[in-house]
Amino acid sequence: MDEEEIDKAVMAYLRKKGFKEAERVLQEEQNRVSSVGSRSDPEIAKQILTFAESGDGPLRYHEGYSKLRTWSYSSLDLYKDELLRVLYPVFIHCFMDLVAKGYVQEARRFFNCFRDDHEMMHKRDLQKFEGILTPSHLEEMEFACALRQSKVNIKLCQYSYELLLQYLQKTQSLTMLGIINEHINFKVSPGHPSSISDDADAVSLIGSSQDIAKQVNQKEVHWGLLEDSIEERFEKHGGLLSDSEKVDGENKEADGEDKKRPVEGNKQGASAKKMKKDKVVGAVGKNVRSETTTVSVAPRVKPELKLPVMPPDEEQSILEDLRNRVQISSLALPSVSFYTFINTHNGLNCSAVSHDGALVAGGFSDSSLKVWDMSKIGQQAGSINTQGENEPSLNGHVLGSDERKQPYTLFQGHAGPVYAASFSPRGDYILSSSSDATIRLWSNKLNANLVCYKGHNYPVWDVQFSPVGHYFASSSHDRTARIWSMDRIQPLRIMAGHLSDVDCVQWHPNCNYIATGSSDKTVRLWDVHSGECVRIFIGHRSMVLSLAMSPDGRYMASGDEDGSIMMWDLSTGRCITPLVGHTSCVWSLAFSCEGTLLASGSADCTVKLWDVTASTKISKTEESRSGSGSRLRSLKTLPTKSTPVYNLRFSRRNLLFATGALSKGV
Amino acid sequence: MSIVPKESIEVIAQSIGINNLSSDAALALAPDVEYRVREIMQEAIKCMRHSKRTTLTTDDVDSALSLRNVEPIYGFASGDPLRFKRAVGRKDLFYIDDKEVDLKDVIEAPLPKAPLDTAVVVHWLAIEGVQPAIPENVAMEAIVAPAENKRLEHRKEDALPVDIKLPVKHVLSRELQLYFDKITELTTNRSDSVLFKEALSSLATDSGLHPLVPYFSYFIAEEVTRNLNDLSLLVALMRVVQSLLRNPHIHIEPYLHQLMPSIITCLVAKRLGHRLADDHWELRDFSATLVASICRRFGHVYHNLQTRVTKTLLNAFLDPTKAMTQHYGAIQGLSALGANVVRLLILPNLEPYLKLLEPEMLLEKQKNEVKRNEAWRVYGALMCAAGNCVYERLKMLPGLLSRPNRQIWRANSGLDLTISNKRKPSNSDLLGHQPPLKKLATAAPAAVSIPTKKDISAAVQAGGAATISGQLPSRREWPTGGDGSRALTVAWKEEVDAGDLLCSLFELFGEGILSFIQPPELSLFL
Repeated sequence: MDEEEIDKAVMAYLRKKGFKEAERVLQEEQNRVSSVGSRSDPEIAKQILTFAESGDGPLRYHEGYSKLRTWSYSSLDLYKDELLRVLYPVFIHCFMDLVAKGYVQEARRFFNCFRDDHEMMHKRDLQKFEGILTPSHLEEMEFACALRQSKVNIKLCQYSYELLLQYLQKTQSLTMLGIINEHINFKVSPGHPSSISDDADAVSLIGSSQDIAKQVNQKEVHWGLLEDSIEERFEKHGGLLSDSEKVDGENKEADGEDKKRPVEGNKQGASAKKMKKDKVVGAVGKNVRSETTTVSVAPRVKPELKLPVMPPDEEQSILEDLRNRVQISSLALPSVSFYTFINTHNGLNCSAVSHDGALVAGGFSDSSLKVWDMSKIGQQAGSINTQGENEPSLNGHVLGSDERKQPYTLFQGHAGPVYAASFSPRGDYILSSSSDATIRLWSNKLNANLVCYKGHNYPVWDVQFSPVGHYFASSSHDRTARIWSMDRIQPLRIMAGHLSDVDCVQWHPNCNYIATGSSDKTVRLWDVHSGECVRIFIGHRSMVLSLAMSPDGRYMASGDEDGSIMMWDLSTGRCITPLVGHTSCVWSLAFSCEGTLLASGSADCTVKLWDVTASTKISKTEESRSGSGSRLRSLKTLPTKSTPVYNLRFSRRNLLFATGALSKGV
Repeated sequence: MSIVPKESIEVIAQSIGINNLSSDAALALAPDVEYRVREIMQEAIKCMRHSKRTTLTTDDVDSALSLRNVEPIYGFASGDPLRFKRAVGRKDLFYIDDKEVDLKDVIEAPLPKAPLDTAVVVHWLAIEGVQPAIPENVAMEAIVAPAENKRLEHRKEDALPVDIKLPVKHVLSRELQLYFDKITELTTNRSDSVLFKEALSSLATDSGLHPLVPYFSYFIAEEVTRNLNDLSLLVALMRVVQSLLRNPHIHIEPYLHQLMPSIITCLVAKRLGHRLADDHWELRDFSATLVASICRRFGHVYHNLQTRVTKTLLNAFLDPTKAMTQHYGAIQGLSALGANVVRLLILPNLEPYLKLLEPEMLLEKQKNEVKRNEAWRVYGALMCAAGNCVYERLKMLPGLLSRPNRQIWRANSGLDLTISNKRKPSNSDLLGHQPPLKKLATAAPAAVSIPTKKDISAAVQAGGAATISGQLPSRREWPTGGDGSRALTVAWKEEVDAGDLLCSLFELFGEGILSFIQPPELSLFL
């Protein structure tokens, strides 16, 4: 190896890299040493030469990556999956390196050349990256920054890892080696390679949050139900009540409340506060009485919030409902009452149904909120509430009977499209959130706006009353979720942490937690009291649009834009089972009151019913496997007549209410 | 590199008055423009999702712009998504059809109807997991059997317990019972009322009627056998059948065996109605079209359906002991089944049959006015069938007209020319509203049925006139040259020359047959 040559190469390299100082020093050094006979290690010299030869050009990335790609694809089948997993981060970082160095044109060519490989798994990300054209965009985009700053964890088995290292060393592809060293954190595990399906991490690439997620998910979550809830009391002595003994029941209720008072006084320092009942809780009357069910084994937890008082008459009606609850399961499917909005002219953004189905609210893009009282419009709807829920003769023909000009109550006040509406548990208040960044509270009795809650800075995508009322949660484009109480115009808690819009929010049945789904493809669980994030659920491939909590508080379902639904175990933070079946956005999810069924409503104009017990039972008995091998069964698909399903809700008697806007174009 | 070309930037710059934008600046701006557009689209998609839509609208883009504190773009009518049209001759160029509107027209135009206000309607999507068959729900594609199969497969698949509901008694809901009573009452008593028309359209469109089909088919079969002399009732019943057949939500196949005898009865019964004045011909024509439509629709499922029907009809047609009315029905039924059937079954028998028919039509041989009239009807039907058949043939092989026949035509040309001149106007009356080519394309039955009726009556009138004047078109000797009859007997063969066929038919029917041939084709012969 010629000494001169090496020196030249080193100089050229330094010059290219812009290390002027080093170049100068080296030159001096050279001049000084030139007389002295020098030694050179041929290995090092070779290394140096290759550095210089390959240059810094963009071609290096292209070639390096394409070689790595061909190699991965031609590797052994057994290890291929794992090796292919490495490709995506390398691809993204190559691209970002190219952009950062200003080779925009080359970057674009590189991107287009290889994007097809990743289209299936990371379509959304690619769409984002496609727009990056200058280094400044790179800095501007948070997603890219997060990726640049953090390392991606990739699980490999021992052998795949060695294969990869061997390849990188043998081919001298230093660029690739550099990228892999810089951005990928290998977790080498002994044993057999894992398949892609049971590694949720492989699916999404969210930079730093992955470590945090691991950390966060260590925290303890008390997923149980509230102690001393109405269901519990109902189970204790409700079984003895028959409808003829209502008076008796009332007395016992009163007893129950008396006992409760001192207990709660101790706990909360709020002496005379009675605890309010959790309506969404999933105790099944008859079922519970006879056998152990999911609900009865659920642990009881103390409320961390001061809960509002429930008036006795309200309690009575809930007990009445519980007594009359239809028991549904995979063998006894629920009845579905469908509320179709007609003539919406594409303006309906959201809808909500009160717990008894008597009130239906629609939020429109013309800033209005309209509330229909179904019991007034036709006798049909009224009889749904008052008598049995399974009268097949109650087919709706509602419009005819009404003589009034406006069959609904119009609530005006927002200054932008209304994106969400939520009835209070008793149905006397409605909350609506709008693109004007406000949330408004309306009274159904007064037909008037009571409060306007300002706090968010950007459109409020979702708002949800807590299961006990009084408190509510909202989520917004400003990437926060907030907890409010009806009597304060400032939020009580602000939950920040999502990397993108918070699209939906849902309360845990025990009111101590809220779950939020976001455009960053994660679902988070937050402690309401402390405002901390206690769980991060990673696994969705597109924005999360809907959430539902099982009535026993143990499971959560989330639906995304692609139509997949995931069931999560709150305590472990793992996905139990993905539910595939919908072909378009899942707008709404709802658990039945016993938690045996999950209903999902989608933009593909169907309501699907899923069997939850099948999966949860397995995961209970085989806890160690944490639900692997268990899957939810799709029980039934109920197609609607070109009506995308916007909202679903189970009544306390287990009647399923669904809403949607008839759209001729679909 | 950027998908926004530099030229676009320059054009935009010029449009806002910057004429000297350097190309470097444009080049630098292009990628940024692309990035911003993508950013806006990303936000717009979010807005779309939160409006629970799957189509992006201009409103979403406006919301996205306002999210970014950018002035929205004005001037789009909100509501429906934009409809892009493809520019003519370009594959990748689309535009919005945005016509210029004269303000004056807009002002002077009457106020448009106010859009209907939003309303909420309730229906049962499912009752205990089963979707009721009501108009609000999607029509069930497969009513029973396939669902059952799927269930079983599903069960094998994952061996999880699946409830199988035991067969339950067929219970009709009260609404359906009322509906059934109402319809049957209308059919039997008030079939001429407007309400009956409504009922028919309801039968043809309602999606929830499937449970009633067995009852209807039983009702129809019963009523037909009991009331053969009540013509109006029979007509009403056949119209009910037609409506049921039309209803896309009903699977009528399993009940065809019950319905077919009734329809065939209405086609070939010896006596329909009790008065002479009753126009049972029309009922027969109508039944014929029904039979034909059933054969067309279910022929592929029951492949012996059409053969059985044609057999029945052919028996009626060829049995000389049967009444003329029955013959008429059989001929109409066969001809409704299409030109091929006519060619196959009627034409070969045409000549012997006409020999039988001739004495019935002649004043001197058949003294009974009614019977003679019937015979003329049959004659008309035969002529129609043969004529339509030969016309179909001609359409198929317009170029294969054989030359030699022309000479035969020439021989009669003097007479023929005058006749054809007379006939031509009526031709254009019947067919003129449809250009010949179009007629080719339209479904044969529709095209055939229209001229059929008119032509029959025309033929009857002509025949009547002829008898009075004692001058039959069929006066020339029946046993014409062996040439013509040979053509008829081999008519079922594909390769038979249409010209030969026409020629022999002309010999049998006289110039009446010419009315079935289009003037341009006719001129070929003349």
